Amino acid sequence: MASSLEQFVNNVRTSSASGHFRELVEMIGKSDEVLQRNSAHLSTVLETLDIQQHSLGVLAVLIAKYSVPQGTTEVDKTNMYQKIHEFITNCNGEQVRLAPDLYAELCHQLTEHLIEIKQPIRGIELLKKAIKKIQLFDSQLTSIHSDLCQLCLLSKCMKPALEFLDTDVTGIGSELGGTNDSKHFLLYYYYGGMIYAAMKNYDRALYFFEVVVTVPAMVVSHIMLEAYKKYILTSFILHGKILPLPKYTSQVVCRFLKPLSVAYHELATSQHAAIKHRETFVRDKNMGLVNQVLNSMYKKNIQRLTKTFLTLSLSDVASRVQLSGPAQAESYILNMIEEGEIYAMINQKDGMVVFLDSPEKYASPETLCVLEQQMAACTKLHQYIQEMDEQIQVNPQYVKKSAGSHDEDMPATSQNSKNTYSM
Amino acid sequence: MITNFDKLCGELEKQELEAPNGVALPSTYAQLLAIYLYQNDLCNAKFLWKRIPQNITSSNPEIAAIWAIGQKLWKKDLAGTYQTIAAYTWTEPIANIIKALEEKVRERAFNLIGRSYSFISLDTVISMTGLNKEAALHVCKERKWELDEDGTTIKPVPPVQPAPLHTSSEDQLFKLTEFVSFLEN
Repeated sequence: MASSLEQFVNNVRTSSASGHFRELVEMIGKSDEVLQRNSAHLSTVLETLDIQQHSLGVLAVLIAKYSVPQGTTEVDKTNMYQKIHEFITNCNGEQVRLAPDLYAELCHQLTEHLIEIKQPIRGIELLKKAIKKIQLFDSQLTSIHSDLCQLCLLSKCMKPALEFLDTDVTGIGSELGGTNDSKHFLLYYYYGGMIYAAMKNYDRALYFFEVVVTVPAMVVSHIMLEAYKKYILTSFILHGKILPLPKYTSQVVCRFLKPLSVAYHELATSQHAAIKHRETFVRDKNMGLVNQVLNSMYKKNIQRLTKTFLTLSLSDVASRVQLSGPAQAESYILNMIEEGEIYAMINQKDGMVVFLDSPEKYASPETLCVLEQQMAACTKLHQYIQEMDEQIQVNPQYVKKSAGSHDEDMPATSQNSKNTYSM
Repeated sequence: MITNFDKLCGELEKQELEAPNGVALPSTYAQLLAIYLYQNDLCNAKFLWKRIPQNITSSNPEIAAIWAIGQKLWKKDLAGTYQTIAAYTWTEPIANIIKALEEKVRERAFNLIGRSYSFISLDTVISMTGLNKEAALHVCKERKWELDEDGTTIKPVPPVQPAPLHTSSEDQLFKLTEFVSFLEN
């Protein structure tokens, strides 16, 4: 027994010394059983390996040490945080990038542990570090992102996640892509949407929920269902109606999600749906958002008034929008002016409101500045798309496929890609 | 003495995240909460309040007092905000932040009045800005808001937009060149 463990240590040492990390990753993939069986000796093994030099070996040992094998229930996790902290801070980024799946696994374990002991806030800084270490570039999404968002939500400390959420993703870590489980991808966008909704950045939240719902799917995940419910609510808050899902949404999504979220659809048609389906909303933990929806309905109604009337008395506003009185109407209008949602002037002397047009003349330097920023963003996006397009054109699989259908449907394009390949 | 609150904010956030066992010092929480309110970042303030451990909030009345302001701000109850600020004797370094907060809230209130009222009663101005009658009239005069003949109504004037930021023509030319070169390619 012990000899196979010794062999593992020797293998790690020799491969690390000679720089054969790819072989080492393969070897580690086969040896988790050996490690699991010798769980009693793992601490000793850990001492003989150096975090910086044998990062991959240490990674494998740590995972084996802290994963709960079937049959037994208790694993000593007292030093887990310190050990993993030490590892993530000191490990060799180049080495662990060869085994991103193991690295992510370790982070998942840490997340679970911190949730278990109810100290999620301690992991935030560490996971931020972990993500930056494994990322090849800033806009790469890894499966650790979802862990970070989860910890942020649980500790109610959302701000640290925003810097990651605000970066638009242009690449996906290898442990997330391909044929792997899409759970962490879905979770990242689901949690991200929740964080944005909590921060009242509903625009971004809607986009994040949309991403979850529009992931190409053959079967519907429960995450997608919950995201769809929140998508409906956010859409109400922002636009006062349910925005139709984009055309590229998978068929199954439309077929299965709608019948499962009837209560949410009813919000659009009936005023009393919120009370009628209260139980459902509370069970789904969406009551907060539902209340926001009800609140935004008043605002939408006031906004609609500005389209019909030029001047209106405050008591008329109150009765048309079903508010309790002129004073409440005044405070709603005041808040909306502050948020820039309407343009109006209140006259307290005779209790009237004058609705104005937007004072923006689109001729100021600020407008130019916004325009310039938008143009820069578009240029950048164009660049990204071009780069991705080039990558796909030289992808052997793509070339094979498009060259295969050479005579059938699109001779022109396949000809093109063939040329690119030969170049 | 007005210090750079944004910088302090970043430092405090870091202190909280790196605190052993995830619980920071009460003074860290108190300052951070006050600064969030100063920045009008009510969402973050709310979540900070929710995540401060209960034993800290109950043993530090100042933190609870700061959040009481936050609640009034959340409900946009301006009159209540000034009352809550005045109701507690603040200690340093919180007092400094609270003072800045009060001034900022008042400034915002004046701008809001200017933007949204054509006629407003003096009483409303007083309750929205938390000033006494003389001080309120004084600020109105400074802003060239006229008092109506009846002596109780004020005619606010919308605040003037801050001077447009000037960009150098070289900079503009640079951007234009980039844009054209993008279109050409």
